Amino acid sequence: MKKIIAKKEFISLWRDRRFGIVGGIIVLLLLTATIVGYLNYQKIQTERASAAKSANDLWMNQGNKNPHSAAHYGSFAYRPKSPLSFLDFGTDTFTGMSVRLEAHKQNDAVFSAAQDASSLIRFGELTVAFVLQILMPLLIIFLCFNAFTQEKEEKTLQILLSQGISIKEVAWGKVLGFSGVIACLVIPIILIISVLIALQADMSFDGNWLIRTGLLALGYLAYLFVFIMVSVAVSARATSSRNALLSLLAVWVFACIIIPKATVNVASNLFPVPSNFAFNEKIKEDEAKGIDGHNPEDERAKVLEKEILKKYKVDSLSQLPVNFDAIQMQEGEKYTSMVYNKHFSELQDTYKAQNRVSEMVGFLNPFLAIRQLSMAMAGSDYVTHANFQQQAEAHRFKLVAQMNNYMRDNSKTGDWEFTVNKEVWSKLPAFQYKEPNFGSVIAQNLLAIFALIVWVFVGVWSVSKIKFSIN
Amino acid sequence: MLQATNLTKKYGEQTALNSLNLTIKEGEIFALLGQNGAGKTTTINCFLGFIEPSSGSASINGVSVAENALATKKDIAYIPETVMLYPNLTGIENLAFFSQLAGFKYSDEQLGGFLSKAGLQNTAHTQRLEGYSKGMRQKVGIAIALAKNAKALLLDEPTSGLDPKAANEFSDILRELAKNGTAVLMATHDIFRAREVANRIGIMKEGNLVSVVDAATISANELEKLYLQTV
Repeated sequence: MKKIIAKKEFISLWRDRRFGIVGGIIVLLLLTATIVGYLNYQKIQTERASAAKSANDLWMNQGNKNPHSAAHYGSFAYRPKSPLSFLDFGTDTFTGMSVRLEAHKQNDAVFSAAQDASSLIRFGELTVAFVLQILMPLLIIFLCFNAFTQEKEEKTLQILLSQGISIKEVAWGKVLGFSGVIACLVIPIILIISVLIALQADMSFDGNWLIRTGLLALGYLAYLFVFIMVSVAVSARATSSRNALLSLLAVWVFACIIIPKATVNVASNLFPVPSNFAFNEKIKEDEAKGIDGHNPEDERAKVLEKEILKKYKVDSLSQLPVNFDAIQMQEGEKYTSMVYNKHFSELQDTYKAQNRVSEMVGFLNPFLAIRQLSMAMAGSDYVTHANFQQQAEAHRFKLVAQMNNYMRDNSKTGDWEFTVNKEVWSKLPAFQYKEPNFGSVIAQNLLAIFALIVWVFVGVWSVSKIKFSIN
Repeated sequence: MLQATNLTKKYGEQTALNSLNLTIKEGEIFALLGQNGAGKTTTINCFLGFIEPSSGSASINGVSVAENALATKKDIAYIPETVMLYPNLTGIENLAFFSQLAGFKYSDEQLGGFLSKAGLQNTAHTQRLEGYSKGMRQKVGIAIALAKNAKALLLDEPTSGLDPKAANEFSDILRELAKNGTAVLMATHDIFRAREVANRIGIMKEGNLVSVVDAATISANELEKLYLQTV
């Protein structure tokens, strides 16, 4: 019974000229977003790879100099774009892509795409995620709003029911039919995308990306399925097609536009993030309380000096077998790095708290749940970016430590004429960004996944509660 | 056999149908006359199970509709005033769809046969309904009822969109069905057609079945007079 209804809905829609036009436009947008996104991704990826290579070349060919000067000279860390990020730009557009690595100073990631774009960027970009999250539900609403109301108004539903089929079977048949149509639009795109992802096997491709693609596809199918079920359920309860359409459009505006914006505002009011300036001021303030790596008159430096002299059992710095300047600078480095990491992780906690609000609202609004899951699976969410920043800082610390320690072990205190060559530079491996552990990515998104599952159940419930009577 | 026993439907204070007692036997055609809102459609909807009676019961072949809504539908066919159906499907496809839902699997020839019997020209069978006139769609509705081979037929002003020739053909079909033992309940405004085709005629007013007459014993003029007096 269900299958008969589903087949009829499927054929009927497929022959509908209006559906042909609107569906065609959506498919075209999806294809465009996929291709443009992919080409753009490849371009950026190549650019960053070559930038990373030239940064490394600069480091290697910086000539002979003092190791600590080399640490000041520094290098750059480039964040590679994740292979799935062409589907969902996420926060990538607004976060910087490179970090300057230098001694004593933690720099922000700079050069975001948004910096080069006009303010139109705030309206969003054409991505596969945008089409699937926002436009596809609109298409579903236009397909489904009159699923029941029209048949009721034209009394076709009464003829249908007089044939001895239950209203539930009619409802599920319709849901299946519409789902089939949507699947025909979406699944080919998913296949194309999967091929594109598989094609980049050379770039950081491992099993995780397959699972990520799978989860992304499942998440979107579930999200769209929820919209189909809710639309059919609303149509069954509406008194007229007009009311059904108005109600569903109101749902769409709230779910896809108003609630997401409102949630961001509420979350950032509840858990305010300090401005960049305030954040850096706080770090400066705390750093001032620590050891100054370049000032021998510093109180703490005096204490450190005594400790070191005691450790090596000598009376003066000139008797030390190691370079005390380097030790002091490294102590300073440790301290500033600790301060930075502390503030950075506090900032991360604030962002996490904000995100928690959005996750909770995800139970009221599946759009927020799929948005988060999509960004996370695409590797373009803020968490991934923060992970990059942490790795960049770790690499910076490693670079500076390696230079300071080399200087400590191979020169004497006060010997600023000490220079080394390429051999020392080559001991520092180039910065290589490592994807965050997939288990932790899943763990961070369990709530979003759970919210989507809850919504599927809500949809199923709303359809199975459909009744018919003329009263 | 269609039977209403003290069938009553109330909406708050308003009584849409007041204690209707009516039995339509196999092979009988019963026409319900009355103004809009007299309770004709409510009666049909009670037999279809779309309206739950406030009291009393509607039964089909002795089975209560309210208690066995799905089971009783096997024995009935229904044609509303305007048949719309699915514009993107052809006549044959529409008929095949509704027949499949009723549990029948007909070949295309058989389906075409039903459509022809309902009076739809052959050339229209494989055309989509979007190009059909109201009368042509009504004929597909009749074919759906025919294909179901139901024991009872519920018609809500079935001839309102038909031209006189088509309405006449429809009357012939009804007579033939009745001859084969189908019980027919037909709500209509067409006094002439009612007297032509029905065995008995009931006139309703404000939810009450006021009078029932034998069609054979009354002329069209007399029936019209009675109708005007009643309503």
